[in-house]
Amino acid sequence: MKSMRAVLVLAGVGLAIATGSGGAAAQSATPATPPKIGSTLIGKLEGPEIIRDARAFPKTFNEAPMLAPEVKAGKLPAVDKRLPEPSQLFVVKPLKEIGKYGGNWRRAFTGPADHENGNRINSADKILTFDYTGTKIIPSLARDWKVSDDGKTTTIYLRKGARWSDGKPFTANDFMFWYEDIYLNKNIVPTPFFEFQIDGKDGKMRKIDDYTVAFEFPEPYAFFVYQLAGSTAIGAGLATRGGFQNFGGAYAPAHYLKQFLPKYSSEEAVNKKAKDLGFDSWVSLLKNRYSWALNNELPVMTPWKTVSPINTPTWSMERNPYFWAVDTAGNQLPYIDRITMTLAENTEVANLRAIAGEYDIQERHMHLSKLPVFLENAKKGNYSVHLDPGLNGSDVAIHIGNSYEADPEISRLLKNKDFRHALALGIDRDQLNEAFWLGVGSAGSVAPAPDTIYSPGAEWNKKWGVLDLKQANELLDKVGLSKKDADGYRLRTDGKGRLRLEMVTVGGQFVPYTQVGEMIKQQWKKIGVDVDIKELERNLAFTRDNGNENQMITWANDGSEMLFLFPRHALPVDAAESHMGMAFAKWYSSKGTAGKKPDDPEMLRAFDLFRDAFGMKEDDRIKNGKEIWKIIVEQTWSIGTVGQSPAFMGVRIVKNNMGNVPDRQVNAQHARTPHTSMPITFYFK
Amino acid sequence: MVAYVVRRLLLAVLTVWAISVLSFIIIHLPPGDYVTSYIASMSASGSAVSEGEATALREQLGLDKPITIQYVKWMGLMLQGNFGMAMEWGRPVSDVIGDRLSLTMVISVAAILFTWALALPIGIYSAVYRYSFLDYVFTFVGFIGLAIPGFLLALIVMYIGFAYFGANVGGLFSPDFAEAPWSMAKAWDLAKHLPIPAIVLGVAGTAQLVRIMRSNLLDELRKPYVMTARARGLPEYRVVMRYPVRVALNPFISTIGYLLPYVVSGSIIVSLVLSLPTVGPLLLKALIAQDMFLAGTIVLLLGVMTVIGTFISDLLLMWVDPRIRLGRQ
Repeated sequence: MKSMRAVLVLAGVGLAIATGSGGAAAQSATPATPPKIGSTLIGKLEGPEIIRDARAFPKTFNEAPMLAPEVKAGKLPAVDKRLPEPSQLFVVKPLKEIGKYGGNWRRAFTGPADHENGNRINSADKILTFDYTGTKIIPSLARDWKVSDDGKTTTIYLRKGARWSDGKPFTANDFMFWYEDIYLNKNIVPTPFFEFQIDGKDGKMRKIDDYTVAFEFPEPYAFFVYQLAGSTAIGAGLATRGGFQNFGGAYAPAHYLKQFLPKYSSEEAVNKKAKDLGFDSWVSLLKNRYSWALNNELPVMTPWKTVSPINTPTWSMERNPYFWAVDTAGNQLPYIDRITMTLAENTEVANLRAIAGEYDIQERHMHLSKLPVFLENAKKGNYSVHLDPGLNGSDVAIHIGNSYEADPEISRLLKNKDFRHALALGIDRDQLNEAFWLGVGSAGSVAPAPDTIYSPGAEWNKKWGVLDLKQANELLDKVGLSKKDADGYRLRTDGKGRLRLEMVTVGGQFVPYTQVGEMIKQQWKKIGVDVDIKELERNLAFTRDNGNENQMITWANDGSEMLFLFPRHALPVDAAESHMGMAFAKWYSSKGTAGKKPDDPEMLRAFDLFRDAFGMKEDDRIKNGKEIWKIIVEQTWSIGTVGQSPAFMGVRIVKNNMGNVPDRQVNAQHARTPHTSMPITFYFK
Repeated sequence: MVAYVVRRLLLAVLTVWAISVLSFIIIHLPPGDYVTSYIASMSASGSAVSEGEATALREQLGLDKPITIQYVKWMGLMLQGNFGMAMEWGRPVSDVIGDRLSLTMVISVAAILFTWALALPIGIYSAVYRYSFLDYVFTFVGFIGLAIPGFLLALIVMYIGFAYFGANVGGLFSPDFAEAPWSMAKAWDLAKHLPIPAIVLGVAGTAQLVRIMRSNLLDELRKPYVMTARARGLPEYRVVMRYPVRVALNPFISTIGYLLPYVVSGSIIVSLVLSLPTVGPLLLKALIAQDMFLAGTIVLLLGVMTVIGTFISDLLLMWVDPRIRLGRQ
């Protein structure tokens, strides 16, 4: 039995490649699993705490044995000279105990596009961050922050004495360098960051003193502090935004990067430098030098720095000797010396290696569908399996193409709320949950988990999110689809035969969208609705989104629990990605100069509530958020199925010798999972 | 002779140019561009690219310009020996391919050597001792080898390695050695990992070559000159090896044209399954990401290799087979 399953996992590799639908075979091959297998694997949400009272700070400091020889040889200053001033430290109380130094954390990555894999471990260089619950903003790179009463200014306070990984001081000048020489240079950043604007008006950065920086806006922008804590272009930290190669991060190592800028030599000189290294222009070279993942010479503020870059078969990192955090006993963090990520050309290989116990902690690329195989081999591989449910309402949301127009009859139906409600009521979510989520997900609407800040209440998770065939059939009759053909499917009202909808799915993702779609097709048969499931390559599916060509597309609504940080999976407001009406998203983001104005007054109301929230104080913004979610659920612009599950990076394989690893961690985009669990406190027992 | 070579060369250059145009067009055929694909892949891994960032990326990569201008820009760069930037990798294309080229060649050459070392003797044996017990065995095994797709074999070999030998799954190095500088120990580590991909990649080719060799040699063995040689009392070994085998080798040589591109790309699917850091998976990922410079350069490289390979096999055929040599003059 055991070997049979393992072979099937392997067979998944072949099929994934042959058909482009990863994990499909392994999914359907997972034999009858006792229900709720996973619920025992969901532990208690826990994590390390930070100490903010300077009186409780440690007074003496220790360092990793790895660095001792260099200190002895005089190549590195003593540990107290490398740390910020004692009152300015980042002090962490580890989850369980003070750890031991050393070790090499082995992980998988899938190539240079997988920079988020390392970024998320190394996210401590964010200006602000969230605590382990993912709800409260706490300091990170900045020691503290303040929002002015009028909401127009957000001031951050840096840690005096903090240093870059090469030992050079880290000050407000590094912020001003980024702002003046990187951000305001149109060759480097052609379009301003949306996060650094309020209502289309640019923000400014100002240096108050060497350790104080202010972000100023022409209008109230109280939400900006969330932008600084979230996974945004301005707040996600130099490492992450460098990984994205978008020149974000709000600060940059001036002393190192100046050599690549024309301002500090000449355009010819920097272009020549670029050409000599094989780059087509100085901007390309700068982009490369700006990425910690690609450039191991870049000074960083992260716990680990790259040794062997991401474009080699092994992406490896070692500790930053100047990292600015200590534990409560005064040990400089991180505990773990090295991180080695080995290249898995496909995720099936990564899963197989995890089953063989070759990774120490791995949550990325692990498939929920392999859970039974993971559990069977847990003893042999000396690891345990943790499930971290997500906070978003639906791992498979059926996003309706609200601005689809190609077929007038279908367009008319999709714009009809009753029709959308009927489709939503025709789905047996419990069956989906058992079949594809092994019973660990929550069935319901697209609304986020009830304990998230913008949740309008648990009742909204069930609204239009249950199976009710009777009501569904009544609604369909009501919208004029009462005539059926011989097979029991409803006929179009324009006399062109059977109503056939089309649902686009994408293969090879964390969730087997196509298989879920096929099951929904069977379920909708009971309400007489025929739907073709069309699996498309991801890029094609997204391109069709952009052209308003998809009637329906299945995609996760991950990140939507933080409505204002990441709205695109909840509302059509972001023209970079919108599954539920690109024309409307363009209209919103261009302030009505492009795209198409939605004809649904409720959507316009949601847009207004959304736009206004950014300037509001916390309480009012939360009110708006809840109201928007009520509208989204009531209007059902996306149909929720099963969510709050670990399908999306929530299957965590942890070797039994790892310490301070939480039983359950918050699994969310804004939390940069696993960052909020503070990998700097993980250690080898 | 010289005129022939020059003509072939000119034709080769023209072919390469045509390949460059074609590959560029093919890469642009799928909908969307690199930035669409980037946004989609970020979304799939729970991260986001904003609209402003997308616009900025398009502008910086020149994707907002018409395809003809992009092609001219690419051509211009290439004439200066610069193949452009690999978008996903943030590095020059030549570096990205260069990193993987040597390992790819090691694997491919190992696979080819494995194929030849096995296929030639078996082919000869099967032809000479036609319908013998071993011929049936080889034929049987050969057909199985032909019938099993490479990736399936790779999966089975990987599973056996994992389940019974506790071997590292996939890859070319143990994790301990992947980062280490080159040393005897590392070379030995590579040598230990090499047989699996070499065998998997070689098996299908072996079966095919055995069949080709066998049928070619059978044709030759029936010919009167062989009978004459036998009649004159030549030892059986010389009868077979001296002429019929040489003639039967022709098809081998004419496939060199296809071997060369194979050597630089490796097998895409098998490499992907076995997680080998070769050019094959690189090409696949570049195509999926619509990284036109990287994909374009690899496709072009494969084209050039095919052209050069065909050219070389033409020359070799002339050298090996006097009939072609004489016929040409």
